[in-house]
Amino acid sequence: MKRPSNPARIVTRGVFGLRLSSYSLAAAALCLSAATLLFAQSERGDYTQRNLGALSQPVPPRAQSDDAKYSIGSYPLYWPEFPEGEGKNLVTAYCNACHSLRYILMQPPLSRQQWSDEVAKMVKTHGSDIPPADQATIIDYLAAHFTPETRKH
Amino acid sequence: MVAPLPDPRCAASGSLMADISRRKLLSRLSAGAGALALARLPRPLRAACAAPQDISDRLPPFTGPGPNPYWNSVGPVVTYPQKYPLILLTDRPVQLETPRHFFLSPFTPNGAFYVRWHLEGIPSTVDLAEWRLQVTGNVEKPLRLSLPELLARFPATSLAAVNQCSGNSRSYLQPRVPGGQWGNGAMGNARWTGVRLSDVLHAAGVKPGSVQVQFQGLDQGPGPAGFGSHAFMKSLDLTNPVFEECLLAYEMNGEPLPLLNGFPLRLIVPGYFATYWVKALTSIRVLDKPDENFWMKSAYRIPDTPRGATTPEAVKAGSVKTIPINRMPVRSFFVTPEPDEKVPMGLPITLRGIAFSGYGRVSRVEISEDGGKAWTAAPLGEDHGPYSFRAWEFPWTPQRRGSHTLAVRATDEKGNVQPDEPVWNPGGYLWNRIERQNIIVGAAQ
Repeated sequence: MKRPSNPARIVTRGVFGLRLSSYSLAAAALCLSAATLLFAQSERGDYTQRNLGALSQPVPPRAQSDDAKYSIGSYPLYWPEFPEGEGKNLVTAYCNACHSLRYILMQPPLSRQQWSDEVAKMVKTHGSDIPPADQATIIDYLAAHFTPETRKH
Repeated sequence: MVAPLPDPRCAASGSLMADISRRKLLSRLSAGAGALALARLPRPLRAACAAPQDISDRLPPFTGPGPNPYWNSVGPVVTYPQKYPLILLTDRPVQLETPRHFFLSPFTPNGAFYVRWHLEGIPSTVDLAEWRLQVTGNVEKPLRLSLPELLARFPATSLAAVNQCSGNSRSYLQPRVPGGQWGNGAMGNARWTGVRLSDVLHAAGVKPGSVQVQFQGLDQGPGPAGFGSHAFMKSLDLTNPVFEECLLAYEMNGEPLPLLNGFPLRLIVPGYFATYWVKALTSIRVLDKPDENFWMKSAYRIPDTPRGATTPEAVKAGSVKTIPINRMPVRSFFVTPEPDEKVPMGLPITLRGIAFSGYGRVSRVEISEDGGKAWTAAPLGEDHGPYSFRAWEFPWTPQRRGSHTLAVRATDEKGNVQPDEPVWNPGGYLWNRIERQNIIVGAAQ
């Protein structure tokens, strides 16, 4: 192996088998202090595990014909999870007839009276044909899960 | 909710962890020091191995009984045909809210424009070979026009106008009221191009004794005939001066309307709440007596009081006289910076936002740096017409560390100024209180 031409340079063999001179040691020390300075200026590399795919990229539109029909296909539905309990099947059957159940989940917590008024509105002004006994069960279910005192979901 | 899958590299006994320990940390690790091993992993891998945090980065699924604390509603973001990702309120029928950042532009892109339908049977296909605009009722010559006939027969005209849902900002009312729990994003501004409604009515010849004109679109509901759940119809008084400004628009920002926003034709009622802007318009009926259908007689009504304000007690007492909702009160918004954004002291930033009024041009927008005590006028952007969003920009150099409460208020050319009092009515309409938001000013050195 060829010796360095300058005898003043002390050559050592590094721990990883690299040749290190005094110059490179000084440079390394400089780098180290620069790195310390960098660390003081910022905190870096902070990542947190998240779930991917909550929002998927839309599929490009399918090929269209050149007739007079303008179509965007079917609209997506998102079936919500509802708490178990007596009346859930009635809510699913009657309320879902005209609108999706997200209409219920979207609401802020409402009082029993407000839910009762909502059911009455669907029957009286929107013509929903719900027998009185089922109306009462539906109101009980909504009050059991969606008032300020009971709402969890 | 789907539980996140753990990163396979994370198991304490996992082979990679063991490899790293052996290869890189061999002499420095005592046996079984798992926590220490985690601490010495490169940061990305450390994050990968921490407990997955899939809850903390999500908004709550609902807000209330207090006011919604966010600028937008809290629903998930979804993608729909012809739409950018928007905020879901409901999926059947479709209601989607526009996220705040789209209001940086005074014109809202069609893909970002909010969506609100009333009946589940909304058009997903429109066949222009079959579609006709019908003008019937109390007229001399009923019309039945195809889209090319409409375009050929009447001159085109354009105007910029804000379309705002009557229930925009409903989630800020106290006490909360049922209905679509919109944040502030049930609004948008577009340049609408179409024919004048008055030209079409003139061609049909409105007979004497007519009082209202009723509008209906292609949407239909499953409810029984004669109920609001069956058909959505809105009417305007023939004496209303807004008739002279109404358009039948076939273009929105220079393109056909997205189906969700009313392709192929939409009624434009400048200055009025969007309930009158009937989408996928197909029928215009001239009436010789007032429209008594649900959507006029029972829904979309406001107390006949200043600002449409009332109280739950007055409603319960049955003492509130109501009128159909009409023009939009003056409003203004911050779009940037984000609420509670942190900015350095002494570094200039620009506050940006929009303002509009259904009563005419916004004449002034003012900013307060002290929560609403002192006000300074903000420079206004280009004037796109009396019913458009008006952009404003306010250069601001924060001079004091700490939390600042900024406020914005607008004044329109009729002299209406945004009030600082909240409003309440059972429909959750007409919210136009002065907007406030916090900003954090940090030390600069």
